[in-house]
Amino acid sequence: MSPASLRQSMPPPYRPATRPDPSLQQKVLIRDIDFYYGNFKALKNITMPLHDKRVTAFIGPSGCGKSTLIRVLNRIYELYPGHRATGEVIIDGENTLAPGVDLNLLRAKIGMVFQKPTPFPMSIYDNIAFGIRLYHRLPRAELDDWVESALRRAALWDEVKDKLRQSGLGLSGGQQQRLCIARAVAVQPQILLLDEPASALDPLSTQRIEELIAELKADYCIAIVTHNMQQAARSSDYTAFMYLGELVEFDETELIFTHPKQKHTEDYITGRFG
Amino acid sequence: MAAEVALPGAAAGKGRAGAVGDLLFRHLTFLFALLVLLILGGVIVALIEGALPALTTFGISFLFADVWNPVTEKFGALAPIYGTLVTSVIAMVVGIPVAFGVAVFITEICPIWLKRPLATMIELLAAIPSIIYGIWGLFVFAPFVQQYIQPAIIDTLGQIPGIGALFAGPPLGIGVLTAGFILAIMVLPFISSIMRDVFETVPAILKESAYALGSTRAEVVWQVVLPYTRIGVVGGILLGLGRALGETMAVTFVIGNAHRISTSILQPGTTISASLANEFTEAVGDLYLSSLIALGLILFAITFTVLAIAKFMLLQLQKQAGS
Amino acid sequence: MNLYFRRRLANGIIMTLSVAATGFGLLWLVLVLWTLLWNGVTAITPALFSQMTPPPGSAGGLLNAIFGSVVMTLIATLIGTPTGILAGTFLAEYSRGSRFGEVVRFINDILLSAPSIIVGLFVYELMVVNMGHFSAWAGAVALAIIVIPVVVRTTEDMLNLVPDTLREAASALGSPKWKVIVMISYRAAIQGMVTGVMLAVARIAGETAPLLFTALNNQFWSTNLNAPMANLPVVIFQFAMSPYADWQVLAWGGALLITITVLFLNIGARALASWGTFKP
Repeated sequence: MSPASLRQSMPPPYRPATRPDPSLQQKVLIRDIDFYYGNFKALKNITMPLHDKRVTAFIGPSGCGKSTLIRVLNRIYELYPGHRATGEVIIDGENTLAPGVDLNLLRAKIGMVFQKPTPFPMSIYDNIAFGIRLYHRLPRAELDDWVESALRRAALWDEVKDKLRQSGLGLSGGQQQRLCIARAVAVQPQILLLDEPASALDPLSTQRIEELIAELKADYCIAIVTHNMQQAARSSDYTAFMYLGELVEFDETELIFTHPKQKHTEDYITGRFG
Repeated sequence: MAAEVALPGAAAGKGRAGAVGDLLFRHLTFLFALLVLLILGGVIVALIEGALPALTTFGISFLFADVWNPVTEKFGALAPIYGTLVTSVIAMVVGIPVAFGVAVFITEICPIWLKRPLATMIELLAAIPSIIYGIWGLFVFAPFVQQYIQPAIIDTLGQIPGIGALFAGPPLGIGVLTAGFILAIMVLPFISSIMRDVFETVPAILKESAYALGSTRAEVVWQVVLPYTRIGVVGGILLGLGRALGETMAVTFVIGNAHRISTSILQPGTTISASLANEFTEAVGDLYLSSLIALGLILFAITFTVLAIAKFMLLQLQKQAGS
Repeated sequence: MNLYFRRRLANGIIMTLSVAATGFGLLWLVLVLWTLLWNGVTAITPALFSQMTPPPGSAGGLLNAIFGSVVMTLIATLIGTPTGILAGTFLAEYSRGSRFGEVVRFINDILLSAPSIIVGLFVYELMVVNMGHFSAWAGAVALAIIVIPVVVRTTEDMLNLVPDTLREAASALGSPKWKVIVMISYRAAIQGMVTGVMLAVARIAGETAPLLFTALNNQFWSTNLNAPMANLPVVIFQFAMSPYADWQVLAWGGALLITITVLFLNIGARALASWGTFKP
């Protein structure tokens, strides 16, 4: 399987006959989501869509619940006792919050990149291969191809192709984060969740990450949490503004930043608070 | 229904295998964790079972009888208990101030480059096995004590009316004091290490505020560091006490193994663990054996209590530090 | 004598005493090691490693004792290490905040500091009485019971140092939990875990009391695990307490051997622990 054919080999469940425009494909529908940390209600009645092949940005002051919300999508919160969510998350027609959903398979479909780079304590090659090996049994040559393809996708291949056997911990911060992105796309997810992916990086690396997101957009449904409004304005197609656990406003990015409908949104965007 | 995923390959099969693996692994680790509890339970049961004959024969008077006669089969635990407690008290009296001094030195006075190596060296004291202390104590320390220390003590402290009886008797070298002293050397690294750890938890700004007012170093230690860490310090001391109570080999070599209680700490005596070490394999007769196991049960009860209190206090400190 | 002078004096005294206390502690370390070396080095001859423990009055070596100690330590490590690692894994990965986990941790720490002679008594009642005879197996089990709490504690501590984001990253890829633990957490914590095992081995290498009533001793060469087996600590105990000079020399030799091994393992463990720690 060559890297080039990789893109075609990945069939999303909905394949529209023509490139939709303006009819967008809704990939994820978040419906009536409440979230609790113990007794504390962190998310209140969130309902919004995520569109396929688009970038949706989540902005808002710290503590508003944006990270909490995207962590509901891949149910990563279930690693911790006392955290629970009610409501529905409909992905491709299925409610993924329903009991009986296989969490591991769900998470294989959704990729996540965290605030701080989290390379595994193993070689760069093995970092990428780890996720692939979870679900595929591939001959060595094919595995090499998949790893290379993922690294190319994350714009990291040229920098690490000669040191695939070296530890992932030896890379710079920006490179480590791109490694994590490569790791996430290697398993061919359909949705990518990016939780402040550039917040721990220097401006140059941040720029590279943003360019990367623009490229990845063509193939994935991307949700990005950011505290950097300019980043949201630059990189996203849709923006959701959250405040104290509520979804205040959700619209096309251009509209949010030029003609916000809510006073609160306008105050945040113009820097009156947060 | 599980979310249908368009993943090529044996994805679904591996997903189920993962779930089985999870279940197996979780139960496996749980079982071994349970084993830890079972070991303790087993110890208690085994001790009680072995001690039962002696306890039923002698009743509660076993704890208070100062008799140990394998021939007439009369046994009482008072002498070993007494020896255990006295040697441990001596170990604490000597060990706590020294451990405190070491901890203060390492945390407050010592230059940074010296801290690690010094701490390591003090901890090597803890690494040396008990039997090494025993053999050293018997051949090197005890003769030294007999030749120089004990005569000096007898001539000075032994002459004071009243407490002089504590330091009376012929200088034998071996005895309760010698054993207690060696115990002190053995437990001071434990106490010191815990003291060091808790001293390091004192926030720097707290100490700085005291210094900024013009306090001397000793005052900062005495009035800021120690009160802040007192729970942990007591916990560390109790931990050291627990160790001292249970120490076997070092004590066995130098305590003299005499089943009697003397007023003078310069005289030989015995401890529970020393009695066990010396007599267990030679013990003939079920009652003899059972009495020894009963001694073991008493030791276990004492150390368990001390260690449980120590652990509890250290847990309190953790909660306090975490809040 | 004004107040300030008194305070300065008190400070000087306390600080001096602290220095003295440290010197005092170090003094004993040096003394013990020095006399050990002095008395034991004469016994380090090739005969020590090639001949068996002799009857009183004759020359000999410690081969059977060395062999017995190595064998029992090895078996104890093989039994105790996986047990301790798995139990420690349970505490770190599966019992966040659970009552059961707290109890196990508590009991484990008590076992950690419990008198080793009690462990010997326990295994005596458990194995020696039921089997009808002393054995190397019983000795190994007693040592294993001492190894387990040490490994449990270090495993749990090291696994707790692994940052949660690493686990989340692996879970987010769809990895089942056991793979997250075995392939990610263990790898991240491996250095510390090995250190813990080394420290546990150092601890049992010198333990005498648990072997006193389990493996007992054996004057002759024996590879039979089902029978009493010679071991260094008990031989040292017997020989040192005896009135025979050549036995005492052998005892010092054995003591030196044990101490060298123990110090080696301890210093090695510390060196390993501080060598390039895992950076999250």
